[in-house]
Amino acid sequence: MGKVIVVTSGKGGVGKTTTTANLGTGLAELGRKVCLVDADIGLRNLDVVLGLENRIVYDLLDVVEGNCRVRQALIKDKQFGDGLVLLPAAQTREKDAVKPEQMRELMTQLKKDYDYVIVDSPAGIEHGFKNAIAGADMAVVVTTPEVSAVRDADRIVGLLEAAELYDPKLIINRLRPDMVRKGDMMDIEDIDDILAIPILGVIPDDESIIVSTNKGEPVVTDKRSRSGQAYRNIVRRLEGEDIPLMDFQEHGVVQWFRKFIGVGGSR
Amino acid sequence: MGKDACQIKGNRNGLVITVSYGAEFLDVITFLKQKLSSAQDFFAGASVKLFFEGGEFSSDEVDAVERLIEQFGMTLDRKPPVMMNDQSAYAGEDREEDESEDENTLLVRRTIRSGQQIYYDGNVVIMGDVNPGAEIVCSGDILVLGSLRGVAHAGVGGKVDASVFAFRLEPTQLRIAHYISRAPDEKLPQPMGPEIARVVENLIQISAYTH
Repeated sequence: MGKVIVVTSGKGGVGKTTTTANLGTGLAELGRKVCLVDADIGLRNLDVVLGLENRIVYDLLDVVEGNCRVRQALIKDKQFGDGLVLLPAAQTREKDAVKPEQMRELMTQLKKDYDYVIVDSPAGIEHGFKNAIAGADMAVVVTTPEVSAVRDADRIVGLLEAAELYDPKLIINRLRPDMVRKGDMMDIEDIDDILAIPILGVIPDDESIIVSTNKGEPVVTDKRSRSGQAYRNIVRRLEGEDIPLMDFQEHGVVQWFRKFIGVGGSR
Repeated sequence: MGKDACQIKGNRNGLVITVSYGAEFLDVITFLKQKLSSAQDFFAGASVKLFFEGGEFSSDEVDAVERLIEQFGMTLDRKPPVMMNDQSAYAGEDREEDESEDENTLLVRRTIRSGQQIYYDGNVVIMGDVNPGAEIVCSGDILVLGSLRGVAHAGVGGKVDASVFAFRLEPTQLRIAHYISRAPDEKLPQPMGPEIARVVENLIQISAYTH
């Protein structure tokens, strides 16, 4: 029996879809069977980020409405084949075409066959969000170091609690260590102070993400990229490994001490 | 015969009828009858708490008042059928204070996040933080055992002596009764310790908490 993880944020444009694609690809790289589900009905784009757009025949709505079997709608990834599949969202319908009960049933079905089912939630807190979290076992909240994104993430954490989806994990996306150092950007501590939920990982702002997203190849497979490394760390944390957060402040006594005792050196 | 011998007051739980010793008892009955029948529809269905104060009342007298209340379709709140001898302790303002001490308190053992609201008739104690975008509104005092960064409104309904306390008091907006204040636009240094906000000379004033 696999695990259903919903990736959500409240605010749009913070990197839910990129995160979903990278976590899925990263887990598949480790040999896990992964199914990605795009719950953003009407505004699908997980297929685009994975470069699978041209292969869509059936979508989530076809499955829910019984027009096809689940297996028929799942699209195999170019690189990982059966190890990474995508259930695309419907593009021509509205978010309320699916009910949370239907999503819950679909998730139960999917997690029988896959180690991880990762659901990409739409922005917002309405119907689409409620569908996305239905049937999830764990939630990952994505935020960027901006007050508006953190505020929305806080709202989402509250709503997840209300939906009895406890203990969500946080991913801080697009952190710019240089700006943090100058005091122009919220740092990890500021965000943790408000949200107070466990941090699953911090992704530095990185141009290579934009490049890889446009190419349809998640950055997690790029061994030279810092953000790829950050995603690989998150994947390993999801697998239960204890890996310290990447160090962005490459100076100071703490750094020296870490090097000295041999944990989590700088990269 | 007048107000002194028998008073009818309303509070959030219903009506409070106070009968004081010393007046001609028949007068009290006539006064009550007259008052209650003047607005029968209004009083019907109300819950009534009876106070007898200032002396000994015979059980016949108590019965008479109780019967009258039931006649007018009101229900008697019998929880403590109070018979008071020490008039001073329950006269005037002292009584008000006692009421506030009786006020209920809600204990919340979690962090209140953006978009969440707590409304309560009484005091509120939060064991956790109140995040920006969250709102605490209550008729009594607010205590936050953590950081208060959202909106806090204490003393709703006119309790100007209500206070707001927090380990870290950095609210978006503070309201006490009808007074409103907001955080200054420029960033303030973070408070060093617990602080308390009260209304002082028509302004909400924040000071370090010392007991």
